[in-house]
Order: sequence, then structure tokens, then C-alpha cells
Amino acid sequence: MKHKSPWFVQKASLVGAAVVSMAALIPMSAYAKAVSQPVALNVFVGYNASNPKAQANLYNNVLIPEFERAHPNVKVTWSYYSSASQENTTLQTAVATHQGPDIFELGTTFVPTAYATKSFHVLSAKDWVTVGGMKRFFNPQLRLSGPNPSHYIGVPEYMLPFAMVYNTKLFRQAGIKTPPATWAEFVSDAQKMTDPSRGQWGTVIDPADSFDPWKIVWAYSKQLGSDFISPNLKKVTLNAPQVVKAMNFWFDWLIKYKIVSSNDLTYKSTDAMQQFENGHIGMWVFQGPTMIPSLNNSAVKGEYAFAPLPTIPMGMKSRPKGGQPTQTIVSGQDLAIPTYVTGAKYEAALQWINFVTQPNQQREFFDAYGYLPINPAAYTHDAVLNTPMIRAFVAAEMHATPTPFTGAWGNLETIFAGVTNKVADELATNTYHAGDIASLLQAANVQVQQSLQQ
Amino acid sequence: MENDLIVEGQVRRFSLGQVLRKRQRPPYWMIVPAVFLLLVIVVVPFFISIYTSFTQLDQYTIGNWMKAPFVGFRNYIYAFTQGSALGASALQSLWVSVSFSVLTTVFITPIGIIAALLVNTSFRGRAFVRALFLIPYVLPVFVNAITWRMLFMNGWGLVDLILSALHLGSINTFWLIGPNSFWAMVIADVWSSWPFIYLMVLAGLQGISGDLYESAYMDGATVVRSFFSITLPMLRPILGLALLLSTLSHFNNFTLPFIMFGTPPSPQADVLPLNVYVTSFQTFNFGLGAAMSLITLILMMIPAFFYIRMLRLGNETA
Repeated sequence: MKHKSPWFVQKASLVGAAVVSMAALIPMSAYAKAVSQPVALNVFVGYNASNPKAQANLYNNVLIPEFERAHPNVKVTWSYYSSASQENTTLQTAVATHQGPDIFELGTTFVPTAYATKSFHVLSAKDWVTVGGMKRFFNPQLRLSGPNPSHYIGVPEYMLPFAMVYNTKLFRQAGIKTPPATWAEFVSDAQKMTDPSRGQWGTVIDPADSFDPWKIVWAYSKQLGSDFISPNLKKVTLNAPQVVKAMNFWFDWLIKYKIVSSNDLTYKSTDAMQQFENGHIGMWVFQGPTMIPSLNNSAVKGEYAFAPLPTIPMGMKSRPKGGQPTQTIVSGQDLAIPTYVTGAKYEAALQWINFVTQPNQQREFFDAYGYLPINPAAYTHDAVLNTPMIRAFVAAEMHATPTPFTGAWGNLETIFAGVTNKVADELATNTYHAGDIASLLQAANVQVQQSLQQ
Repeated sequence: MENDLIVEGQVRRFSLGQVLRKRQRPPYWMIVPAVFLLLVIVVVPFFISIYTSFTQLDQYTIGNWMKAPFVGFRNYIYAFTQGSALGASALQSLWVSVSFSVLTTVFITPIGIIAALLVNTSFRGRAFVRALFLIPYVLPVFVNAITWRMLFMNGWGLVDLILSALHLGSINTFWLIGPNSFWAMVIADVWSSWPFIYLMVLAGLQGISGDLYESAYMDGATVVRSFFSITLPMLRPILGLALLLSTLSHFNNFTLPFIMFGTPPSPQADVLPLNVYVTSFQTFNFGLGAAMSLITLILMMIPAFFYIRMLRLGNETA
């Protein structure tokens, strides 16, 4: 009879023993972890390009130590995304794999897309109590936290209302006393400041940017009484006459009114910013307070101011029927917790949100990189937060208009950027024809319609 | 002939042939970690891509992607007909990518060869020149892309300023949009990637014996004749490999157009990797993006297969 070789028996025994030991160790270590390990919380936030040192200092030396002192059983780490693309892909990976950061900082217009993934916690009434209650926040900002108050997934973290930034020196030189209140005045003022021989332009456009163009065209469309998507969120209306008119008006700044340089056709937001900072631009619409630190380190330091966007469309004495005095979108950052975060970690995440939305921490955000507090209490008895400039932004926030709450909004932004890019392309190569904007918006309308959830 | 071996306290008898065969057998088990990693990193995602390409995977279904609705070949039809964000269709982008990669490789090959020949002979400061030649290659792609974006800016970019000063073009020559965007991308990529060919050729030149040139010289061959009769034939295997790797690398270039033009780019610069990225990750159409990737893979495998066969790289580089 053939017997098994002793080495095989020995090895088999060893492997068996190892497997049994491992099997025993796994639950033991899990138990040990549960008992002794603190809750590890990872917060995923947007990168502050204008002052990364201040951001790192804020999280590493101020916010996290302070929070951990108050919650000794929670260990917080933070990571960041440096672009909207990275925000997008990280969120996609996290929701597909059910693992990743424990708290996402999301741009407000991205919250509807996050909501569409059905991968974020809808906050219960109890959760809202834990994060400080809905009354803690500026009300307009909550309108992009979810489709309705009982389905909010995002908690506002800070706000970034938009306005128009203008060069006060160029205003003085052109004899302009006050910022324009109508778009006709805007064009007229811009023409007064335009002097191509000195490389000086009344305003600037950035059609190659992925996000700036739609905001301006959308605000103007709202003033004309339309939107990009119907109120019931079932029909895309990019082909509406008001939207076509709005985009025509934007490109007419170059084609008809000659208040922007043709160089702008290749511009992204950073290029436009550079031109404004060099003192070459009179007015730049749809800009927020986060640019203040950068402006203060540029050639226009002390020679700029902010004003609300004009609200009376070109060639009109008042807004048409249905037109809204839209000056800014509801903009800022929200905090949202993915559904894979549960139990003690979920509670810790809520505690963190409660912590960072309190007045002191909100002020820290403002000091570090100019984000406006979302908590009205932060403005009380605070001289720094009550300057005319900040008050103008807060006033704009009170009239902020939310963009449609649809999961297709991200698609719409990208496809809309495709339209502006294509029009710019045609203008640069002298192949543009009147009517092209309408046909491109029609094509965009069809594409976005496909991505609407019916 | 038999040998006595003491194994675990017992005397066992093996023939010498058995022992040698056992010793010569390749230790295949050592490749298990590599095979496992390949399975996890390449094979499994590849099959997931195939599955995804037949589904309507988007922002509404990504949270439970295994249950995304099955749509058959719809994504493949869209890939050929519909562009991402009003940009180029997959077919158009494929053409842009093929043109871009082939043209770039065609331009960088003579530059790389000439540069390698220049520094193959010894002269004072050769080490410095060799290091200098590598600068474009070692610069991060995004630095290269941002630099060229600034150079190609309309009106005030250095390229337009020089063209205008030399009366070779208008100061209003748009490079970052329109048809010129393709050439801007080619120029920027040529600048940054020619050192790859240079490095490969230089390595190949080190392997050519000086005796060959000496014999040729004694037989009266000129420098030009030596180059075409000795250098180029001897470089053929390594140059073939370099051209193949270069073409594939340029075809997959994503960072350069992404930073130079942003998203979505002009259709003329909408290379396939960028188109797939915009489709998948910006418009959340993962099914369509997967279909576009698979079409590309199939189309690219055909020339790559014939290319490798033609060059018989396997035999010659071995």
C-alpha cells in the first residue's frame, strides 16, 4: 500500500493550523477594533487653489484638533479634489464601489446629480437637529439641498453668491459714476471703457470655460422669463426663444457691441481672471467673493468693487412677463454623507457637519479663503462681515435663484459648454452664421433631453 | 543510472534524468502573483467594460450598476453617430487620434535620430547636451501643456507675436480652437516627445560595433552610405519597437489636449481618450463610453497586429 509522504502531512497540518488561526484571529481583531479603535472620519473637500496653505493650516491646526478635543473618540482626516472633474470621478467611484470618503463637499449645482445616484443619506428630522436645524442656514441655500425639505441630502457649508466685479479706476477714467442697473447701461458703459489700442476692454467672456458661460446665459434667460428645463423637470428648454436670445446677447458682446476682445474666444475662467487682474477689463460678470484674496495680490488691488448684475434685459424698460430679477444662482458648497457610512461613523459625520457650520468655524473659513458663512448668526456683531462689499453679496444671496433640481444638470452643463465652444470655434474661423446659435442649442436640447429621467 | 537520495529520512531512488527534468522544469508557480494581478487589474475590468457597454449605466443607475438596464447594441450605434457634448463622434475622434499619433511619430522620428547621432560621437560638453535633450521629456505633461497653451494664446501668445513679427501670419491666428488646434496639439507633443525616439536610438547606437564602420570606411564607404547601410539596418529592430510604442503612446495621450483645450475641446482636437472621458465621466454616460473604448480597442488591434508581424519584432529583438 502506498502511504502518504510525511512532508505532505506536515505541510497540510501547517496550512490547516494557519487557516484555523487566521479564522480565529479575524473576528477577534474585528472585536478588538470595535472596542478600542476610534471612529475614523474622512472628509473630502474642494482644494483652495488661491490659498492652499491657509486651507491646510485651517484643517490640520484649527478645525480637526478642535473637533477631536470635543469628540475624543473620532479621528478626522481630510483629503481634497483639485477640480470639478476630480470631484466628479471620486464621487462616481465611491457610489459604484460603496466605499470612499465619509463626507463629500459638493458644489451646490452638483447636489442634484449626487441625489440622482440614490447613494447619499436623506437627512431625517433627527439628523437635522444634530446638524443644528434648518433655521441655522440661509434659506435660499437649502433649496438645492434636495428636491424638497423632506428629501434633503446636502447641508449647506458655505455660500458663494455671484455678482459683477468692476474696475473702479477704469470707471473713473470713463466718467461712469455708478454700476449699470440695466443691460443696456452695461453695454454702454463697456463701450465707454473699451480702447483696443491700449488692450483695454469693457468686459470679458470665457466661452472655452466649462462652467462660466451657462451661468450668465441662464441668469439672462431667467430675466427674460425662461429656464433651461421646464418647471416639472420633464422637458429641456434650451431651444426656448429666451435662451437663444440670451446666448445671442452674450456673443453679441463680441459680434455687435465690440466690448470684448476676439482673443477671449479661447479663454477659460483663469485667462479672464488674469486679464481682469492686469487691469485690462472694466467689468466681469458672475464672479464671487473667493476671488478677493487673489485680486488683493494683483494690479487692481484697491481699485475694484462688486455690484449686483443688471436685471433689465437689453432694449427693454422692464422685464417681460414671467421674467425674474435673477442676479445669482444658489451657489456654494454642501456637505453630504454617502449611504455606505453608517452607525457610529454616520453620527460622527453629522457631528462634524454641526461643528463646521457653527459661527466660529464659519468665520475661520472666511478668514482662510473668503468663503461666506452660511450661518446668518456669523454676521451678527462682526465688523469684518458687515462691510458694504460683503453686505452686497449677502443681499444677492437673499435673491438667489436655484437652478432646476435634476440629475441631468451635470450633463446639461457639459453639453452647454460644447455649444459655447462650438460658437467660439465658428467665430474664430469666420464660419459663424446668424442662426447657428439656435441650431446648436436645438441639438443640445435633444442631447440633454435624453439624459433626463422620465 | 540511478542515484540514492535521502528524502525525509528515507532513501529514495531517482534516475538522473528525473532529477534533471525536475531541476529544468520552469518554475511556473512564480508567475502566479503576476497572473493574479493581471486578472484583477486588466482582465476583470475588461470584462466589466464589455458588460457595461451593453447597459444604460448613468447617474441614475451607478449606485447599483449591476442592475443597470440592458440596451443591447444601442451604445455602439450611438458611438458611431452621436458626439459627446456636441463634439466629435467616436469615429471622428478615432480619425483625429490616428492622425495625431501617426503624424507626431513621423515628425519626432527624424528629430530623435539626428539628435542621437549628434551626441553619439564624443565632444566637449556632450554630457551636458545629452542632459539638455532630455528636458522636454522629463517635464511633466501638464507643465508642457500649460506652457504651450500660453504660447498659443490668441493675440498675445508668443507664437502669434513671432508669426506676426516675421509677417508669416496674422496676430489673430487662433491655435486653441478651430482647425489649428490639431496642429497646436501636434507641435506641443512633438516638442515633448522626440527625446523618446532619441533615447531609444541612442541605446541602439551603443550596440553597433565600431568595427563595422571601420571596415566600411576602409572599403571607401561615405558617412551617408554607412548610415543607410549599417546604422539604419542595425537600428531597425529597436527603431521599430520605438515607433510602435510611440504611436500607441500618442494615441493614448489624454493629459495634453485635456489641459491645452479643456472640455469639451474643438472637434478637431477631440482625441478619442478625451471624448471617452467626457462621455463617461462628465456626461455620466458610462455605457456609451465603454462602447467607444471597445470599438477603439478592436480597431487599434488590427494595425498593431500587422505592424508587429511585419517587423518580426519578437525574433529580432530577442
